[in-house]
This record gives sequence, C-alpha cells and structure tokens, in this order.
Amino acid sequence: MSALITATGLTKHFPAGGFLGRGRAVQAVTDVSLTVARGETLGLVGESGSGKSTVGRLLLGLLPPSAGHVTFDGADLATARAGDLRTLRRRMQLVFQDPYGSLDPRRSVGAQIGDALSIHALLPRADRAPRVAALLEQVGLAPDHAARYPHQFSGGQRQRIGIARALASGPDFLVADEPVSALDVSVQAQVLALLADLRARLGLAMLFISHDLPVVRHLADRVAVMYLGRIMEEGPVAAVFARPRHPYTQALLSAAPSLHPERRRTRILLQGEPPSPANPPSGCVFRTRCPLASSDCAHAAPPLQGAGHRVACFKAE
Amino acid sequence: MTWLLRRLGISLVLIWVVATVVFLAIHMVPGDPAELLLSQGGTTPDAGVVEELREQLGLTKPLHVQYGLHMWRLLHFDLGQSMQDDSPVVAEIARRLPRTLELILAAGIMAVLIGIPTGTAAAMRRGGAFDRISSAIASLALAVPVFVVGTLMVMVFAQMLRFVPAGGFTPFTRDPAQHLALLAMPAGAIGIGLSAVVFRMTRAAVLDVMLRDYVRTARAKGVTPNRILVRHVVRTALMPVVTILALQLGTLLGGTVLVEFVFNWPGLSGLLVSAVNARDYPLVVGIITVISVLFVGLNLAVDVLYGLLDPRVRR
Amino acid sequence: MRRLPWTPIAAFALIVVIALLAPWLGLANPVSMDVPHRLAGPSAAHWLGQDEFGRDVFARLIWGARVSLSVAVAAAALACVVGTTLGVVGGFLRGIAEILALRSIDVLLCFPPLLLALLVVTLLGPGATTLIPVLALVYLPGFTRVAYAGVLTARSQDYVEAMRVLGAGKSRIMLRTILPNIGGPLLVQFSLAMAAAVVLESGLSFLGLGVVPPAPSWGLMIGAARATMTQAPLLLLWPCLALTATILVMNALCDGLRDAVDPHPAYRPTARRLLDALAPGLLPTPRAVLDLRGLTVEIDTPHGPIHPVRDVSLQVFPGETLAIVGESGSGKSVTSLAITGLLPGAARVISGAACLDGTDLLRLSEDRLRNLRGAAMAMVFQDPGSSLNPVHRIGDQIAEAIIAHRPMPRAQATSAALALLQRVGIPDPARRLRAFPHELSGGMRQRVMIAIAIANGPRLLIADEPTTALDVTIQAQVLDLLADLKRERGLALLFITHSLPVVAEIADRVAVMYAGEIVETGPTAEVFLNPRHPYTAALLRSAPVEDGPAPEGIAGVVPPPTALPPGCIFAPRCDRAAPVCTTTHPALEAAGEGRAVRCIRWNQP
Repeated sequence: MSALITATGLTKHFPAGGFLGRGRAVQAVTDVSLTVARGETLGLVGESGSGKSTVGRLLLGLLPPSAGHVTFDGADLATARAGDLRTLRRRMQLVFQDPYGSLDPRRSVGAQIGDALSIHALLPRADRAPRVAALLEQVGLAPDHAARYPHQFSGGQRQRIGIARALASGPDFLVADEPVSALDVSVQAQVLALLADLRARLGLAMLFISHDLPVVRHLADRVAVMYLGRIMEEGPVAAVFARPRHPYTQALLSAAPSLHPERRRTRILLQGEPPSPANPPSGCVFRTRCPLASSDCAHAAPPLQGAGHRVACFKAE
Repeated sequence: MTWLLRRLGISLVLIWVVATVVFLAIHMVPGDPAELLLSQGGTTPDAGVVEELREQLGLTKPLHVQYGLHMWRLLHFDLGQSMQDDSPVVAEIARRLPRTLELILAAGIMAVLIGIPTGTAAAMRRGGAFDRISSAIASLALAVPVFVVGTLMVMVFAQMLRFVPAGGFTPFTRDPAQHLALLAMPAGAIGIGLSAVVFRMTRAAVLDVMLRDYVRTARAKGVTPNRILVRHVVRTALMPVVTILALQLGTLLGGTVLVEFVFNWPGLSGLLVSAVNARDYPLVVGIITVISVLFVGLNLAVDVLYGLLDPRVRR
Repeated sequence: MRRLPWTPIAAFALIVVIALLAPWLGLANPVSMDVPHRLAGPSAAHWLGQDEFGRDVFARLIWGARVSLSVAVAAAALACVVGTTLGVVGGFLRGIAEILALRSIDVLLCFPPLLLALLVVTLLGPGATTLIPVLALVYLPGFTRVAYAGVLTARSQDYVEAMRVLGAGKSRIMLRTILPNIGGPLLVQFSLAMAAAVVLESGLSFLGLGVVPPAPSWGLMIGAARATMTQAPLLLLWPCLALTATILVMNALCDGLRDAVDPHPAYRPTARRLLDALAPGLLPTPRAVLDLRGLTVEIDTPHGPIHPVRDVSLQVFPGETLAIVGESGSGKSVTSLAITGLLPGAARVISGAACLDGTDLLRLSEDRLRNLRGAAMAMVFQDPGSSLNPVHRIGDQIAEAIIAHRPMPRAQATSAALALLQRVGIPDPARRLRAFPHELSGGMRQRVMIAIAIANGPRLLIADEPTTALDVTIQAQVLDLLADLKRERGLALLFITHSLPVVAEIADRVAVMYAGEIVETGPTAEVFLNPRHPYTAALLRSAPVEDGPAPEGIAGVVPPPTALPPGCIFAPRCDRAAPVCTTTHPALEAAGEGRAVRCIRWNQP
C-alpha cells in the first residue's frame, strides 16, 4: 500500500489571545507524524482537548501548521500553488460532527451537494442534477430529496447529506470528524455501515476521528491514540486493542463501559484530570496521571518508536 | 488585576482619540471658523478683521502646532476661553455640569425604583393581567419622545393645574424646596422613558434567567421560591439591566438637551445648544470633550462593575 | 423566519402611503399663510384648525409625516449601506481592515448620539440635507456591529467551513452563505434605526437645529405651538399625537420583526395540573422507594396536545439502580422531570401516581414538593457547566442546599459542605469551596452537583445523563462514585441514559423506553442477554461491541409524537411485525420473573 497522505512533525500552537497576545500559547498538537495509505482507514482516538480534531484540520490544509508539513499524493500542501491547491481540495473532503450546524439552513440540499460540481466545474450544468440525484441515492436517500431544505430531515439523514456533499467532488481522502457521535445509537450504526460500504466501493482513504473506542475497532484498519496533543501509541487495530502497550491506552480501553462487564478488562482508574494544554507537563505529557511514571519520565518526551505497532513510552515492555 | 489595568489603558487611548477627533472635526470643516463667526447676519466680513480674529484664535499657526497646543492645554484641564465673553470654558462647564448630573441621577433613581420591581413582577406572572397592562404602558412610554412628555407636562401641571412652576432653576443652597419642585418635572420627563427601558430589560432578563439550568438546580435543591428569585434570578438578571441603565445614563449626558430646553433648566446641554447657535467653537469643543470623557469613564465603570458582579469576566 | 408582525406592518404601510400620497390628497397648501385667521379653531375648510400663521394644521401634519419619514428612511438606508459594508469587510477580511472598521466604530460610540448630532450640526449648519448624514452617522455603529457579529458567527459555522473544504473562493462564500444569514438581524437593525431617526429628527427640529422653517415638521410644530399653548392647547396636541402614534407603530414593528427573526419557543401560560380524580387501582408496593404508576404527560403545541410519556410504570427499591434507557424522543427525561415536579410550563401530568415512600408526589402542593426536593429526593443533571450558578461560589451553592432543609449556622453548613466535597473526591476541598464554577473542570463540576444532591441524605437520587458530557476516563470515575454512594447509603438510584454499555455497567434493573412508552423491563443482565422485545434486541445489535460483530442499525426513524402509528408504535420498524401489530396496541405484560414486555409476539417463535 502506498502512502496517500503523510504528515511529518506536525505542530500547531494557538496564541492564547489577551492584550498583545500575552499569556501562554496553547499547544494543540505537538510533533505528530502519521500516514494514511490509499484505501486505508486510520482511526484517531483521544479525549476532548487531545488535539485530534486539529490534526484533521491540519491534514486538510484548513489550518496552517506551526511546524512540520503535510504531503498529499506527493505534493506539499504548504508549497502548492493556488491552482494546484484547488485541485487537491477536490480530492480531500471533510464530514462534520454536528448534523445541524454543518448544513446551510437557507439553501436546498441539492444546491449544497451541487456546490462541489460547480466550484470545480466538474460537469456541464445540465448533467449536475442527475449527478446530485445519483449521490443522494448512493447515501441511501431519494433523488427527489434534492429540492428539500435541511430542517426537513432527521439527524441521521442530515449526516447522509453531509456525506453526499463530501463525495460530490470525487475525493480520494475523507476526514470524518466524530461523524456519528451526535446520533442515536440505532442511527449511528446505519451511518457507520454507510461509511464502511462507501469506503469499500470507492476505495476511499479515511481519517476517522472518534472518542468511541468500539466504533473505531470496527471501522479502522489502524488506530492512533492521542493525549494532550501527542500520539501515544499507533498500530493495527487488532494489535492495539488486544495488547495495548502504552499505559494511557490501557487505561482508556479499560475505562470504556462495556455491554458485557464480565468480559471487560480489569479497570485501571486514572487519577485526576488531563492537565491544561496551555501548560503541559515536562517530558512525557502523561506522566502526571501515569501509574508507571518515575522521575526519568519528567526529563524528556519519549519518542514514538517500534515497527508497525509504535508506542511513546519509556516503560513500555 | 491585569484585566483592570488593560481596561484602564484602553479607556485612556479612547479618550485621546476622542479629543483628537473633536479637534480635527472642528479644524477640517469647510470654511474658516473666524469667517463663519463674523459672517453671521449675512454680511461679508472685512478681510482684515477676519485675519485679526484668526490671529487671536491661533488659527494662523500650522495645524500640528495647534494640535500640540490643544493637547497640552487639555492635559492641564485648560479648554480655552469662550469666544462670546472670554470667560474660561472650564469654569463655565464646572458650573453647569453638576446641574445636568443631578437631573440624570434623579431620573436614574426613578427608573430603578419603578422599572426593576415592576419588570420582575411582570416576568414572574408572565402573560397575566399585570404583565399585559404594565407592558402596554411601557410601550406607550417608549413611544413618546422626551420633549413631547416635557411639553405636555408643562401644559398640564404648570399651565392648567398650576401645581409647579413651568420651569427655571433655583440653587439648592438658596431654597431647597423650590429647587426640588423645579427638579421634579424635568427629572420626571426623563424618568418616564428610562423607567420603561429598565422595565423591559428587567422583564426580559428575568424571563431568560428563569429558564436556566441552574435555576432548575436550585429548585431541585428545594430552595424556597423567594430565595431563588432573590439569589439566583434577580442577581443574575440585574447584570444586563445595570449595564443598559448605565449606558443609557451615559447617553443622557448629551441627551438632556431637549429637557433642559423645555424646562429652562440651565444645565450643560443647554449651554451646548447656545454655544452651537453662537458658533462658539472653544465652548463646543470643550463641552463635547468633557462629555465624551465622562462617557468613556462611565463605560469603564460599567465594565468594572460587571467584573465584580460576574466572576467569569475577571481573568 | 417565523410569523411576520402583520398588524404593525399594515399600520406602518398606511402611514407611508398617506405620506407618499400627500400631494394628491387635495390638501391645503401647508406653507401658505393666512394671518387674519391665525389660531382659528377647526372648521370645514381646516379640519384641525389653523396655526400661529394661519396655516392649515391638518395639511402640515400630513406633509410633516412626509418630511419625517423621508429623512428617517434616507438616514437609515445610508447608515445601513455604509455600516454593513464596514462590518462585513472587517469581519470577513480580518487583519487591518477589521481593526480599522471596529476601532473607528468604537470612537463613534464614545459620543452620546445626540451629542454627535449636535457636533455635526455645528459644523455643517441645520437643515434637512444635514440631518440625513448626521442621523446616518449616529446609527452607523449599530449596523457595523450587527453585520460584524453576524459574519463572525457565520464564519464559525460548519457549513461555511464545508464551503472552504470544497475550495470555494471568498466572494462565493460571502454572497452565497454569509449575506443571506445576516439579512434578518440587519432588517431588525434597519427598523430600529428608522424609528430612532424619527425621534431624533423631531427633537432636533424642535430645538431649531433640524428641519428649517417654514417646511412642515412635527418637531417644529410642537416647538412653535409651545408659545401659544395657553390660547390653543389643541395645536400642541395634534403633532404630539401624530409623532407618538408613528413611533408606537414603528416600535411595534421593530419588536415584531425581532421576534420573527429570532424565534424563541412559543410561550404557553402555565396550566394547572389536571389530576385524574381516581386513585390508581393498585396499592403501591410498600418496599419501593419510588413507585411510579401509569404516568402520562401532555404538552400543548401549536399542532394540538402531544403525549411524550404514556402510561409509564416503574419501581425503584432501596440500594438498587434502575436505568431508564432510550434514544432521543423516548420520553426518558420528561419522565424524570414529571416525578420531581420540574416539568417546564407547557407540560403537565394528566394521569398517574408517583409515590415516594408512600407519598404521591404528583398530588402534592408545590410547597410540600419543595420540602422533598433536595432532601428525600435529589437530582443530578446532564450538563454540569450550566447547572451551577456562575456567579456564586461552590461552597455557597452546597451550603444553600443544606440550609434549605436543615436550618443551621452558616459556619456549620460550610464545614458540612467541606465534608461533602471530600466525600465526592475533590482534591484540595478547602480551597475549592471558594472557587467559582468556571474555575473547575467538567468532571469536578459534576462531582459538585453530586455533593449537592447527597447533601441531605436523599432516599432517591435521580441522575439524568450525568456522564454524557464527560470524557470516558472521567466518566469511569463518576460512575464509580455513584456506585459507591449507592452502596454506602442504601440509595435508590434512578439513572437515565442513552448508553447501553453504561447501563450494563451500573444498573441492577433496566427499563427500555421507545417513543414515550416502556417497551421492556427486567434485570439488566437478563434483558441484555435475552431481550424479549424486538426493539431491545435491535438496540443491542446496533451498539458497537469491541470484540463482537459489526453494529447493525434499525431501519426507519422514531415516529414523531404528533403522528404515532395506531397499533404497536414499533411495528413500522420491526422485523418481526405481523399484520395484527399494526392494528392492536399491546399492553405491558409480565414475561417471566421480574420481567415485562410490551409485545404481543414476545413468546412466539
């Protein structure tokens, strides 16, 4: 499998605001490197404030990184010329979390799905309506839904519309940012099945951002676990879920409630709460809550290392 | 603390910009102040006389020199002399300003005493008879311009019923009773509209707060309705009301013109109108600068007050 | 946009039409004098009499409207165009343009409006042509602020980001998505500026600084009539009435437009709880802390009454956790609010009984109910961020709960609050007592909410989605705390959630709700292992399990409460539905030890 999108040493600082920008910058993302191969799904998990959504925006070039760079199919996003960037945009798309805020309430669904076709002049005007109808059918909606407005749809249907809009430009790479977390569980499963089906049929590469571990287990090929802006562990889903090596991953997996409590891992209850990203601990950012932490952990950040299944921990066996 | 200093710094910058804008506005107008001053009555003034007046007013110096001089004087609270009688502008403002402030303060107290209790009561029984009637009265009060209220008050209370004199001013030190009798009508005329504003704000704010989750929490705790009202609803609801009231009072700093005119109340705004009519530039610049500085100061005070009331603002 | 304010629109349109048609109404010349008949009373030729120069008052009133409105409209339009451009450019381009636009507006706002107007009149001299730019200047900041705020809000919307992802250019985003979305607030601002301009114009004219005589203007007419008010009081009254009525109509128009653009939930007067006179047939089981029988809740909507909760019965025993699980719209939260008497105004209980230790909560007066809330029964809500009052310290909010039921000196309540904070596991509790809610994290705030709930040793604790807003590692901490408290104090815990795994973790028994009804209830382990209602089974299949098969969705959507199907409410989505299911509404029937199910086919293969 060849890499479609590669991020190297991505770092993003947000200025803390305040008068003349004083105060500490928030380190949303620090030194993140990852790749997504063609047709592959990378799950990105972490709790709120872990920087997982920021990584998604950085990969799409919606935010400029403070350091590091992103290459898409061999082209560096930072140095690409405006024309090339538009072409790249066509090939990478985003599916949002909030099925209500992500659709313009004042425009018909068909018009919003058709935007991609007209912006990139992909089809002659006459052929656009049939294409929109085909896209709606592809996501399990009726072609005549194109004339309706977003408020006439349920949350699950809106999320299908958001997916249709993302697919309209014929992308190779999709960032799905918590696409099902706002949905009821029975609808969640429908949308997940749709994403899995589309990925297989269209050969999409996908970055699937989620805080829901079982969902990632089912949809992703590989998974990366983030904590306070850094990747703690990364590897094939089966390996990471069966034998988590980082103490944070172990705690996270054991904390998730399970339908079958008797089969669940022994719970490792983490003490306290994540520190503020404006003031992260020195060395390993997890050490303040880590059951294995020793004084070594405060000196340097452990590098993410290993073959295939990588982990950023000095204590990992 | 840094929050307070930052707000203070911003206010100082604003005051400087305002003083500059007023200065520039007066000096950038088409036409020469000296010429305008002398050409009143339609006669073309003699060039020599105009030049003499320009010299006297310091208008012959380059603009930046005039600006520097103006700013330097401002720093020393020197606003120059009135063109009409050469009296110092500062002294005249100091004499008139307290009278206007008194008017505004009296109206503000009236608005608080009327608007907040009725607004709260109307919100508590939303849709009831009291709410409907008081809301209708407030709408009417908001629709009557202050000079209309004032003029009608003069007609009814002074001309027809002869309760109070039609207008004028007596210093408090000379005759306190007469002073208060003369204060009643102008303060009342302003107070009516202001009460309506406070009423509507209070009502809306109380309604909004009553729907908040933390009021539900207080109810879930079993706290008595009266305590919920006082501690959770009114306390929070008053914050926007206080802000709006303070800003309204600030607006009145320049807005008592009409009432002072109607009731012949010799306040700062009346002075401004006569200065405008007489084209007395130093006086106009002085008054506008003073009022704007007060306005900026008031905004600062509101921000600080808000910070004290709402701990989330302090950072 | 919701309903438009048609009455004020019609009234305003009438005023505008009259003003527009003034030259063709066959009125007397408003400026031609007739000094011999000065101050003459009403007559056939002069309906409202003649003024101090003998001019026709009626004609001057109508022509005055023309002057007032044209000045107001022109000023508002000018302010709208310039102000909106500044705001949109500032908000959209950011950088230098933003700073310049906003700071110049800040400076304008440093001058009280009337003062600003006087300053400009000083510079340019009075007259209608001066008035328009003067008034425009005064109302310009309002438009800039509204447009700027609108652009900023729109910019942060996901659907605008979606356009960026598609590669759309700035101008396309601006025209297609942002402008249509700020149109409403701008319209409101326009009506406000127009109404205020009428007031300000008349005021300035009254002072002689606005419209120049002899042109007719209401402000001028009032000013002139003051001199003769003792001889001709009516002369003063007419322009006052015309001005007030116009402003009243314009204010009503503003209010109506604002409501239409920014719709709040329609208000309904609180209806008295109509309780069915008949006591429910069965005596409550004595052991249960909470015994809920046949609860039905009604909500008035514009489309008629709906019943989001129908015939819900359940019991919670001491030391037991009962979970109500359901998707959105299942009625689980409404059930808990009905039990505690905290239903919002438009909703009311129409039948049923809720016995807390034998006392029917639904028949208690608000006063007696209040004595139970926070004492015998306590609640924890979903969003700890908004459920604590932001302006009071944590310690005071806990102490308030204690004092509400057990009057005691303040110091004693504070030390009790300290002990509670310690019990719920808040580090450094002495310092946290003095903290404000925004200084704590979400998990900490939820612990504070729990401390408040257990302050008076409740028998029943109702927790409505208490961990939904929390991260998974924090959720585990809070669930552990709740389980500990239940064991330690023998609490009856009613836990409301949408998450099946959370139910599996903490509940002894579960009640599954669907579209307002309980469809299945029983011990959690048994129900999850061997669900008897097709909905429960489908729901379990749709939950992702780490080492299980891929989740399956349930086809279709939950029926809206306005259009419930006639038979079994789940029939349209049920894979086991028979023809009889679409006609017969099943009752909740016993289905084995401690279990009940609402399905007529539960024991058929």
